[in-house]
Amino acid sequence: VSLPDPGMASPVLTGYPRDPEDKEYVLVNNKCQCVTVTSKFVPSKENPDEEILERNIRILVPLKARENISDPLSPLRTNFVYRMTELCKKCDPVEIELGGEIYQAQQSTSCNEPETCYTYDRDKCYTSTVPFLYHGETKQIQAVLTPASCYAD
Amino acid sequence: MTLLALVFLLAFLPAESASSRYLPKAASSPVFGPRQVYGLLNGSVSVKCFYPPTSVNRHDRKYWCKESGKSCMTVVSTNGYVAPGYKGRVSITDYPLAKNFQIDISKLDMADAGAYQCGIGINGRGLSHKVSLDVSEGPHVPEGAELFYVKLHSSLTMSCSFGEEYASERKYLCKMEKSGCHNIVNSYGQIDEDYVGRILLNHEDTPGSFSVMITHIDWEDSGLYLCGAGTYGENGETKELDVHVYEETKVPQGKPTLFGVKGSSVTFECHYKPLKKSSVKYWCKWRQNGCAKIIDNSGFVSPLYEGRVAMYDNPENNTYIVILNQLKDSDKGYYWCMTDEEKEQQSSTELKIVEGEPQLMGKMEVEAQVGSRVDLSCSYSCKYYSYQKYWCKWSSTSCTPMPASDQGQTGPDVTCEVENKTVILSFDSVAKTDEGWYWCGVKRNGIFGETMAVYLQVTEGDNAEAPSRAEAPSRAEAPSRAEAPSRAEAGVIPQGKPESNAGVRSAAASGSSDESHGPNTLVLTLAPVGAVLLILMAAFAVFKYRQLKRSDLVSIGSYRTNISMSDFESVKEYSASNNACMKESQETEIGGDEFIATEVTQESAAETKKAKRSSKEDADIAYSAFLLTSNSIAQGGSGGDSAAPSVPPANWEGQI
Repeated sequence: VSLPDPGMASPVLTGYPRDPEDKEYVLVNNKCQCVTVTSKFVPSKENPDEEILERNIRILVPLKARENISDPLSPLRTNFVYRMTELCKKCDPVEIELGGEIYQAQQSTSCNEPETCYTYDRDKCYTSTVPFLYHGETKQIQAVLTPASCYAD
Repeated sequence: MTLLALVFLLAFLPAESASSRYLPKAASSPVFGPRQVYGLLNGSVSVKCFYPPTSVNRHDRKYWCKESGKSCMTVVSTNGYVAPGYKGRVSITDYPLAKNFQIDISKLDMADAGAYQCGIGINGRGLSHKVSLDVSEGPHVPEGAELFYVKLHSSLTMSCSFGEEYASERKYLCKMEKSGCHNIVNSYGQIDEDYVGRILLNHEDTPGSFSVMITHIDWEDSGLYLCGAGTYGENGETKELDVHVYEETKVPQGKPTLFGVKGSSVTFECHYKPLKKSSVKYWCKWRQNGCAKIIDNSGFVSPLYEGRVAMYDNPENNTYIVILNQLKDSDKGYYWCMTDEEKEQQSSTELKIVEGEPQLMGKMEVEAQVGSRVDLSCSYSCKYYSYQKYWCKWSSTSCTPMPASDQGQTGPDVTCEVENKTVILSFDSVAKTDEGWYWCGVKRNGIFGETMAVYLQVTEGDNAEAPSRAEAPSRAEAPSRAEAPSRAEAGVIPQGKPESNAGVRSAAASGSSDESHGPNTLVLTLAPVGAVLLILMAAFAVFKYRQLKRSDLVSIGSYRTNISMSDFESVKEYSASNNACMKESQETEIGGDEFIATEVTQESAAETKKAKRSSKEDADIAYSAFLLTSNSIAQGGSGGDSAAPSVPPANWEGQI
């Protein structure tokens, strides 16, 4: 009985995929409704040898938000609806390769429906018209609700 | 033999993890800074915090706050506020072009030690980074890690120098993980599989120093690294490197993988920084022990690539392109665009070879006698109808364009007939100096497209031997071909090699048409092939089973939810009361603070836990039911919160 040469065995071992550490992955990061869903594998409570998928859903409810976030004079929002199906939609285009060429494709249908937002998206500029009394004349002026996002540069 | 090899190959195939398409959670905090800062008593310390240079971030408020309990009290901010205990000894400066802001604290006190946060926007909203400040008597203070803030998909260069005594020691770069420091690359040539093709270790000129270049930075590359000389844990010196990856725009940038059709050509694009226009630029193929130079802008071309590769510089766009044609399977791999001086702008591309049909076809090798008339022709498919076509003579410095006629472009006609689509390069009287490589190519809007290479061999004497020279092995030419009717000078064309411009040559480069099996050999090959297939399927099934175990499938039958909403902790510190006696001791928050939730289990949670969900709609109903029940619980009062101060809990709705 000859043992395999350890020098021969090492290439097999190094080629073996390294077990990834337990990492938490972000599934949903919805800036409009302020929901994040992350998932990771955890040992099951009943059977510690078995790993089950744990999903953490974090919802930040903005209690001082208005019904229409672009209109500060609208009433306070009291009804917040969160639908997992809508949150899990992937509307950002991804690049896929078909027949040697790279195309951009959208992964979900019904991405054109407008969604009501409960909070401000940091990268968008929100404005509102304000009646401005100047020299006895009332003008409707565009005022900025999120100053940091509204710079031109 | 081959069976074993095939099975082994399957075992080595890495299981494609579905989770690689999702961002790791660490990616969601884009503000980055040092984890630990060390300062001396009465000394000063400087903290640099990085952020993605988007327009919002550049204009938003930057702050440095000290953590106290669940909230963070502002010490200094770019709005001009300085906390009372810090007047005159702390400052904050924003450097938006350098993507960072800096906080300088001087005259350190022991009480200054603690947990801080540097961030953007409003305190406690999560766009921040935790920094731990340590103040000691000294005299020596440990050096913190060197910070690298890298853009996603770009490249990173880290250099480490250890002094002359380590000149001959083993150099390495490893990544800190829970189980120790995992080797990434070292001077013995060992490279971690996740980094193959995108990492290079270069020894610098000064002894004992080296640099490591990594391209195509991905989210997974974030983390703490150690570069060192010697062996980790045993001897030598190390230096800590903290790398954080950020994303600036959502649009995916760059093409890390190029697909080249076998037999055709592919165009690589390399960008460089404008200042170093005059430096040496070269293009090389990644190998385990370095990068093998193929072509550079000083006229060097590797002999293996003679006639196959050309480099074109485009100073206006700060790019240079490299065209590689006559692609073979062995061309697949990683190619790097390098410059001698500029360390940052190295980029790499992976080339994969796919089967397909080249869109430019023609004879690959042409032989002619001195003094005779030769026509080199190149047929292009209808795809290139509107492109600019050209012929050029290849040399190691460049491919110089030559005047050629386009048979196809006669008038403003809309139809595209394949028969007429040729570009011809003619030599009235060919000379020995005309011998060499010629390229036929297409161009559009200044962007180089596909190319095809032809070798012109000029022989002396009248006897054109017409040797039965093997054609380029990938093209099996049909021996009999009719001459195109438009060619008048049929007689002078060297015999034995009839040219034909007519028709699209079936450029199916696979030589399978040449193979012919007799019926006996067919049966003989089918039997072992069937056995191999069975073994392959078994190995594949085993593999898929392993992959399934780790995949992200959730059974809808038993959907176990553990939703526990919680009380809202009142945020008393920032109550905007009309108390005139209250001193301006905190910065007034614009926009208010978030309610930080604490974990409290609820009795009603038990009901929803046990309920079985049979469909997604049921889960949705459970959600909304839960929101309603928890809402009523929250209204009822915060029972378990011991930290609730004097203000009654129902008051929180009307604050700020």
